[in-house]
Amino acid sequence: MSDLHFEDLSEQEQEWIDALLDGTLDEKSFAELQEQMLQRPELRRVVRRSMALQHDLQEQAEADADHAMDPWLAEEMSPKNVVSLSSGFGAHLPLAIAAGVAFLLGLAIMHFGRPEPVVNQVAAPVEAKPEAEAKGFAVVEKLFDAEWNDEGDARREGDNLGDEVLRLKSGVAEIQFYSGATMMVQGPAEIALVSAWEASCREGVVRMRVPPAARGFKLHGPDTEFIDLGTEFGLEVREGRAHVEVIDGEISFRHRNGQERIVKKGAAWGLPGDGGETPETIGRVSFPDIDNFNSLARGRQRTDFERWVNHRNSFARDERVIAYYTFDRPQKSALLASIAEPRNTELDGAVVLAETAAGRWPGMKQALEFRRPGARVRVRIPGEFSAFTFAAWVRVDSLDRRYNALFMGDGYENGEPHWQIRDDGKLMLSIMVDDQKRHPRYPNKSRYHHVYYSPPIWELSQSGQWMHLVSVYDPKNKRVSHHVDGKRVSEEAIDPLFHVETLRIGNGEIGNWGEPFRETPWFAIRNLNGRIDELAILNAAMSDEEVRKLYEQSRSER
Amino acid sequence: MSDSDRDDPGENERYEAFVKLFAHHEAELRRFVGSFLPRWGDVDEVVQRAAIVMWRKFDQFDPETSFIKWAQVVTRFEALAYRRKMARDRLVFREDVLELMAQEAGEEFNERDRQRVALDTCLLGMPEKQRSFVMLAYTPGVNVKEMAEESGSTAAAFYMRLKRLRRQLMKCIESKTLNPEEAA
Repeated sequence: MSDLHFEDLSEQEQEWIDALLDGTLDEKSFAELQEQMLQRPELRRVVRRSMALQHDLQEQAEADADHAMDPWLAEEMSPKNVVSLSSGFGAHLPLAIAAGVAFLLGLAIMHFGRPEPVVNQVAAPVEAKPEAEAKGFAVVEKLFDAEWNDEGDARREGDNLGDEVLRLKSGVAEIQFYSGATMMVQGPAEIALVSAWEASCREGVVRMRVPPAARGFKLHGPDTEFIDLGTEFGLEVREGRAHVEVIDGEISFRHRNGQERIVKKGAAWGLPGDGGETPETIGRVSFPDIDNFNSLARGRQRTDFERWVNHRNSFARDERVIAYYTFDRPQKSALLASIAEPRNTELDGAVVLAETAAGRWPGMKQALEFRRPGARVRVRIPGEFSAFTFAAWVRVDSLDRRYNALFMGDGYENGEPHWQIRDDGKLMLSIMVDDQKRHPRYPNKSRYHHVYYSPPIWELSQSGQWMHLVSVYDPKNKRVSHHVDGKRVSEEAIDPLFHVETLRIGNGEIGNWGEPFRETPWFAIRNLNGRIDELAILNAAMSDEEVRKLYEQSRSER
Repeated sequence: MSDSDRDDPGENERYEAFVKLFAHHEAELRRFVGSFLPRWGDVDEVVQRAAIVMWRKFDQFDPETSFIKWAQVVTRFEALAYRRKMARDRLVFREDVLELMAQEAGEEFNERDRQRVALDTCLLGMPEKQRSFVMLAYTPGVNVKEMAEESGSTAAAFYMRLKRLRRQLMKCIESKTLNPEEAA
């Protein structure tokens, strides 16, 4: 695009526009500016851009003045700061605005010496982009020993479900509809989802739990329509024959255009495909039970967790491991210990503003959440290395920044890594080749480094799911690879132009980026809106097979 | 209860539909007007007048078509009418310039959106003191002269600083919206 930038205008034109925005442009200059504008569409474009900036700043400032009345912020202002402000002009202003001004003045004139929280409020990004949509009307809440008819049918926990058919070979799946209804399906089963309010069971055993908010949920059998009038019922369909049991509350059903029948708690009906409907005894079918399932799931989680603990203890002794953070900290400790053996407290990280949250086994394992713009863990990892493997368990809630940090070398100097996720979901690993030189191919845009991208590995529907991310920088074999949940998703050769033999880390950060380039400070905030509960850095290139094993030994059902 | 059109359920529904559409697009419309009318009060005024006209003519709006396109046409017309009334005011574009600006602004909705998103990021990237200063300068009701004195400075120095920071923001925004692929 041949778009004109503001600074491409003549100095006089720039001054005119500034004066126009400040309301100080004199009549003669205004006339000249307009004369120019009539002739030059590209100038009009810059003027519109400038005026729009002016407008956006006004709107933002007004919104901030409102924010300043937020009780949370009011607490942040010490009374001393407020009192010592001007008593002169505040009196002319409406109260809300005066308070806003006082607050902002406090920031502008005095030094609060306080870190991030204010940033949060003062320039919190207002809702902006076109509204994101996640498709579907139900979600796979939990799976237990679930096997699917074939690979293409496989669903994972957290997957969104829309208008589709589930073919479960064995095991149990818990489906949460957005209406609030919950369906437990036991394989072998074939279930067609219609909407948040409607589904059809072609084969298998299901148990519906319907809270008051989802009353009216419709479930279809082969020849029957069931409407839940509250709480809980079970349905078994085998070879076209249905058996329904009301576990709690009541339902109504209509079988083969017959009359509607209300069935209350404790009653059961047999509904053969060839017509007729007969009362049956309850307890003939064992329907999957959520409570039972939960306690089994907890047991399974405990097993996974224990397997991981064993793995962790041996992995910490792997001599290739440079630093290993597992994010389990004693109460309120500001230190994040590296548990790599032999223990070296120099490698312990400092937790700044990151919040303790549940890890991938809630109640058993902790994580850190980097939701706040200033959140980070600062580390110092001295030494020189010959390869890198970065391995982490990450739960991305959303990709709010252009670049969302996993692990970043501070200054991005020679041999230092940047490991992050771009807002389009691509995993990125880059190493600085020569920080004193311009990029050989894009001398005007970039310093001398190269970014190795994966295809997009994350989209909004995966929000809140734990993923195992591994990126490998292997100078010896001249190859960089990215792996998700044990599978390699991309591989790229290292071009001789970007080959780096001596790798370093030095000061760095987990979950954010501390030291931006001087020239482009606006890229500085790269906090990951999400959690990390395990991060290992190895002075070695793990093979695909090793990465797969690492995933297997540290994964959870979730 | 009378049989005025307020009690007509169709009318109520229509009104609700209008309010919903208008509320949904108000920010966009304000940004549209803001890109060719320099003063904030003017933007308020024009958008308000346009809203009244839109409601009056709402039965001419075809729901199968784009509301924002229609709203933009109405608003552009109102802006020109408003200009004629304000013609003696300083710093209002002459009619031919305004007409061109309004027309071209209508084709820049997406760019305006991107620009606003970029501004958020650029503001976040500024050192806290600078950002607070810019926000303060734009806070409605602030008297620059008194504020400058308060901080031991002059109004001229205040405007110099504001101008510098605004240019810096503009540069940042342009780097993001005019060349979306920047180096990591």
